[in-house]
Amino acid sequence: MTLVPGSALPQSNHARLLRRLAADPLAAAALGTLVMLAAGAVFASVLAPYDPLRIEMTRVMQPPSAAHWFGTDGQGRDIFSRVLFGLRLTGLMGFCAIAIGGALGTAAGMLAAFYPRLDGLIMRLMDVLLSFPAILFGLAIAAIIGAGTLSVIIALAISTIPLTARIARGAALTVIAQDYIAAGRVIGLTDTGLLVRYILPNCLSTIVVFLTLRLGQAILLAASLGFLGLGTQPPTPELGTMAAQGINFFFFAPHVAIIPSLVIFALVLATNVLGDFLRDILDPRLRG
Amino acid sequence: MLRYTAQRLLFAVPVIFGVLLIGFALLNLVPSDPATVRAGPTASAAVITQIRSEMGLDRPLWEQFLRYVGSIMQGDLGTSLVNNMSVAEELSRSFLATLELIALCLVWAVPLAILLGVAAAVSRGGFLDRLIISGAVAGISLPVFLIGMVLLWIFGFQLQWLPFTGRGGPLWTLDGFRHAVLPSLCLGLIFVGPVARITRTSMLEVLGADHIRTARAKGLEERLIVGRHALRNAMIPVTTLIGLQIGYLMGGAIVTETIFSWPGVGRLAVGAIVANDLPVAQGAIIALALGFIAINIIVDLLYAVLDPRIQAR
Repeated sequence: MTLVPGSALPQSNHARLLRRLAADPLAAAALGTLVMLAAGAVFASVLAPYDPLRIEMTRVMQPPSAAHWFGTDGQGRDIFSRVLFGLRLTGLMGFCAIAIGGALGTAAGMLAAFYPRLDGLIMRLMDVLLSFPAILFGLAIAAIIGAGTLSVIIALAISTIPLTARIARGAALTVIAQDYIAAGRVIGLTDTGLLVRYILPNCLSTIVVFLTLRLGQAILLAASLGFLGLGTQPPTPELGTMAAQGINFFFFAPHVAIIPSLVIFALVLATNVLGDFLRDILDPRLRG
Repeated sequence: MLRYTAQRLLFAVPVIFGVLLIGFALLNLVPSDPATVRAGPTASAAVITQIRSEMGLDRPLWEQFLRYVGSIMQGDLGTSLVNNMSVAEELSRSFLATLELIALCLVWAVPLAILLGVAAAVSRGGFLDRLIISGAVAGISLPVFLIGMVLLWIFGFQLQWLPFTGRGGPLWTLDGFRHAVLPSLCLGLIFVGPVARITRTSMLEVLGADHIRTARAKGLEERLIVGRHALRNAMIPVTTLIGLQIGYLMGGAIVTETIFSWPGVGRLAVGAIVANDLPVAQGAIIALALGFIAINIIVDLLYAVLDPRIQAR
């Protein structure tokens, strides 16, 4: 089998990936940060020293201390505990949106590449979706079904579909042109069999790299919508919403708004650095 | 060129149709019945039926939609549920404020980004290159509101150099300009990263091209090679990609307007959605969408002018 550009990795490449990671301290640091943040999010209920929703009006807006590592917010809630739970929700929102939008976009792109008769219709539809920035989907969906976690996920998922479809279509077209696909047809494989068993796996690394690069933006947008009050509603801790609440008394207690924002920055930066690293190794064609 | 322009405009038709459909859905398909809302809680069923027919709500949906499109064409977007102001009037005022903000941001951010991108490409692999690249990646990862907060803290609160809430009047007055500095700085900072990165990539590609090698071979000064022969070619992809980034800029503008209480369309839209003021929300979303479509068309046409090969496709 000839190895097409962007095809699935043979086993030896995983070892190469690890070697490259060891040689690139920045990417390694990004991976470390991500693992740490992910652990904090997953084990939030174990790690959080306080109940993230417990209001204590006697300890309002306290600066960081030994008792409250990140201080307390406007209602005396422990910011460290809220950041852990907020990290979970913000990360989950970005992840869900990318997973759903990525899956739908991949399906659309594959179908467009495989059935030339559908190509024009699907890709024009994608062009229409691409005509709108993600933030606009966020506004429109919040206006239609109301502000909340779900509307953010829907908006981000929709905005992920068209670009993923383009990438998936491009990758699939390269694979479909290969001899082994023609051979598969000759021995009588069904369309579904060809698509799922041969074409999809060979496009996957390109699509995954693209979605990793996209994840950072999705998280940033989720947080922005939260900050605007169009995302997760208080008192549920979400990083963007927490930053927005802190803005109200920013000059008295800046840490309430700054700390959640810095956590978002760290999360997105680590995701982006790691995404760039993966792209350089797995699929340099996506550079640009 | 004419044919390309016509094609591009034709493609916008279904998109605009979609936008209007969403706006219509927003006003008419939401769970609450507008006639019941207008009639008030104590109205009898007969009164509600009468209001329904007055508002045209008993007509078929497609007829309602046509009427809706007709009234939008005439510039009638309804009135706000909150303050009874004309939506079109509020929109035209806030649209200007948003344009002002975006213009003042592009004026400094785009040249700076291109300069940084070129500097990085010329010193490829060197310290400056790595510094600029890291800065760009960090810039792409920064939440706009974090930038806003830092600017607010340093220049608005600690140094008290600049005002940080609202708009001070037209941009050409001193007060108007002073009010616009921090918001446009905030918005521009998220734009520099991506554009610098694109410029660098594009520059590197052009610097490796044959005509640059020829220019070097004939002993042309490096400054002229970069400035005259490379940059001009590199600008073509940069222009399109700046166009593609306008959506990103729009997202940033909405957040920036909220932080600095800038009376633009974004802030209007967000406030209306939060307050459930559907006519204003609908109008602002349509305005933002149409503005975005218009910008995209302009960028595409500009691209075709810069690169004649496009029209041939």
